[in-house]
Amino acid sequence: MLDRAARSTKPGPVTFGILLKLDLESPPSQHSPKTALRFAYSSLSSSSKFQQSPPMSIFEYNGSAVIAMVGKNCFAIASDRRLGVQLQTIATDFQKIYRVHDKLFIGLSGLATDAQTLYQRLVFRHKLYELREERNMKPETFASLVSALLYEKRFGPYFCQPVIAGLGDENKPFICTMDSIGAKELAKDFVVSGTASESLYGACEAMFKPDMEPEELFETISQALLSSVDRDCLSGWGGHVYVVTPTEVTERILKGRMD
Amino acid sequence: MLKGMKLDTSALESHRLLIGASNELQNGFSTAPSFEIPNTTDFDCFQKEAIQMVKPAKGTTTLAFIFKEGVMVAADSRASMGGYISSQSVKKIIEINPYMLGTMAGGAADCQFWHRNLGVKCRLHELANKRRISVTGASKLLANILYSYRGMGLSVGTMIAGWDETGPGLYYVDSEGGRLKGMRFSVGSGSPYAYGVLDSGYRYDMSVDEAAELARRAIYHATFRDGASGGVASVYYVGADGWKKLSGDDVAELHYNYYPVQPTVAEHVMVEG
Amino acid sequence: MGTAAVDVPMKGGFSFDHCRRNAMLSDKGLKPPSFLKTGTTIVGLIFQDGVILGADTRATEGPIVADKNCEKIHYMAPNIYCCGAGTAADTEAVTDTVSSQLQLHRYHTSRESRVVTALSLLKSHLFSYQGHVSAALVLGGVDVTGPHLHTIYPHGSTDTLPFATMGSGSLAAMAVFESKYREGLARDEGIKLVTEAICSGIFNDLGSGSNVDVCVITKGQTEYLRNLQTPNPRTYVNERGYSFSKKTEVLSTKITPLKELVEVIEGGDAMEE
Repeated sequence: MLDRAARSTKPGPVTFGILLKLDLESPPSQHSPKTALRFAYSSLSSSSKFQQSPPMSIFEYNGSAVIAMVGKNCFAIASDRRLGVQLQTIATDFQKIYRVHDKLFIGLSGLATDAQTLYQRLVFRHKLYELREERNMKPETFASLVSALLYEKRFGPYFCQPVIAGLGDENKPFICTMDSIGAKELAKDFVVSGTASESLYGACEAMFKPDMEPEELFETISQALLSSVDRDCLSGWGGHVYVVTPTEVTERILKGRMD
Repeated sequence: MLKGMKLDTSALESHRLLIGASNELQNGFSTAPSFEIPNTTDFDCFQKEAIQMVKPAKGTTTLAFIFKEGVMVAADSRASMGGYISSQSVKKIIEINPYMLGTMAGGAADCQFWHRNLGVKCRLHELANKRRISVTGASKLLANILYSYRGMGLSVGTMIAGWDETGPGLYYVDSEGGRLKGMRFSVGSGSPYAYGVLDSGYRYDMSVDEAAELARRAIYHATFRDGASGGVASVYYVGADGWKKLSGDDVAELHYNYYPVQPTVAEHVMVEG
Repeated sequence: MGTAAVDVPMKGGFSFDHCRRNAMLSDKGLKPPSFLKTGTTIVGLIFQDGVILGADTRATEGPIVADKNCEKIHYMAPNIYCCGAGTAADTEAVTDTVSSQLQLHRYHTSRESRVVTALSLLKSHLFSYQGHVSAALVLGGVDVTGPHLHTIYPHGSTDTLPFATMGSGSLAAMAVFESKYREGLARDEGIKLVTEAICSGIFNDLGSGSNVDVCVITKGQTEYLRNLQTPNPRTYVNERGYSFSKKTEVLSTKITPLKELVEVIEGGDAMEE
């Protein structure tokens, strides 16, 4: 019941779901903690008092890994497929990368409820733009929009870290990431975010090379993603990769470790 | 007040009197190891900080059950620190002696140390009494030690499984001092998931193969749902001739064995107009 | 209909919608998120013809280097630039806001912006947020009254100085300035001194790193020297690139061809006016 609440897109129940979950000191599916032994041993189970001791970052509540890379006249954006509630895996086909238009994608890592809300607001703003301007947004413009939406909530942020990737004027690839209050980080090579970001930084620093063709780019981004999430408890369970060239979008589902 | 105080657990020793006067060799082995208590006025607070400092490795799925032919013991192999996976190949089933196994959940160091210690005690018992210690006795030795350190920050959740003169034995022992005899246990963050599979598939009159498959499956399902469990599902069987390792399967392969997927051919989407 | 109006704020500014929820979450023991910081070295000095600003290019998020080559010298007006340290989003937002206010002011008055105008806009914004907008700035420019250099602290206080440093590397940089700065430096000497001060920050402060950006502002001319020095090039790149032992296994593929976007120009005459 809680899980469903946490996945719902309606703002009301979501908040409720999270708070309820966080109140639990004992593992998710525990029976009555009144039983002496169960209770006693709860210290070793998942969300025990020991586990609680270092405060969990809210970014780690659902778990995610998102990455984008630039190739030669193309880009790739990839994410893992897990939706969890702390250590419990709820779904393994969760969408973290969203299409804004054919040549513009956004990956949202962090708290899933905020990510979905933010995405819906972005779609809304993009549609208004399309109606007014009769054209798609340039990636740079879109990045500024995301940044503005995030910074507006400077003192009460959305708990998500976006990764934006798109093809701009003359199909020039553009990638960018931000922190949760919209500080843009423009990079020429790759950007990462999510709970596996530290491993992703390492993998990308080693594997990336400039001007890759779409096929090689796909292989590199997939290997970087899969090897990184294998070192993270909170992300993984398969991968989702988009490779975008000026002429086509290739979407692939990756086979990965399911533990 | 606490300065220089040492916990004395010698009263819990069962074989001390049997062996007789202590000598140098035994001083090292037979006395219960004890920790120096820190020189501090606020012991509770110190403890809390100490626990935070040496974060216990958590996140585990271990299980054991008794069936017709003996005891089946299984565990995953992941060690994690917070969200980071520090190892995918940890040995969580500890071989105490050829007839007894211990499982590891909670602090890795605590489990390893006290199981080793238990091994020593069991061997000494064997030498003193010319017969193997019973599972009941061994688990009680461990439980007594853990009880004497209760509330001091040890983190151990273990199952002692073995075969003795009375047949198969299985006990659950934890650092809060609890000790339970039972037919079926699972310990660790993945235990709720493992219990689900175990309880639904368990029958007493299973064959060894069936029991091994049940144990493996339970571990696999736990690793799937629990972020802190994963790696290799190892299965041990303890029979009248002692323990034997039956299998160690990478759960990534197990997943695709249980749920095969065929790669689909590339789907081309047509653009309208 | 109401929602649209709510969603698009008419006046801009902050929205405090999530504050109560997030405060509640952090009361529950959840760590509030860390933001991108520029644990920075930024400097500025006045030389004989104007002002020189300098900055390193490292952006950090906790212990992680998030961006190895970011821009910390922000455009304010053609004759005014501003270095930012502190929370990246804040420095970015505050300089952008004031920059557009200055632009509007120029449209209004048809005169070159003055550095003091930028200064008071910045300080009044920062003061009104009582230090919660954490931007520490070095503002420099040349206007009709000559060259100016100011530092602005997150709470809104300001200094007017001949040479200034800010950020976590400010001490390292100030050491260089204090020992070598003199009045009436030539352009080359000035650039050299600024570079040296930034390098001192790059090499002695862990929060600063990578490259040196410099901006030279003189009467009627501005030169932005991006990556003037790159003292930390990558030295560990594998010439042959990286090869993978095992190919990624793909479960499904979906290929969507993209439509050619054709721009339709309606009748030749329509465009003529």
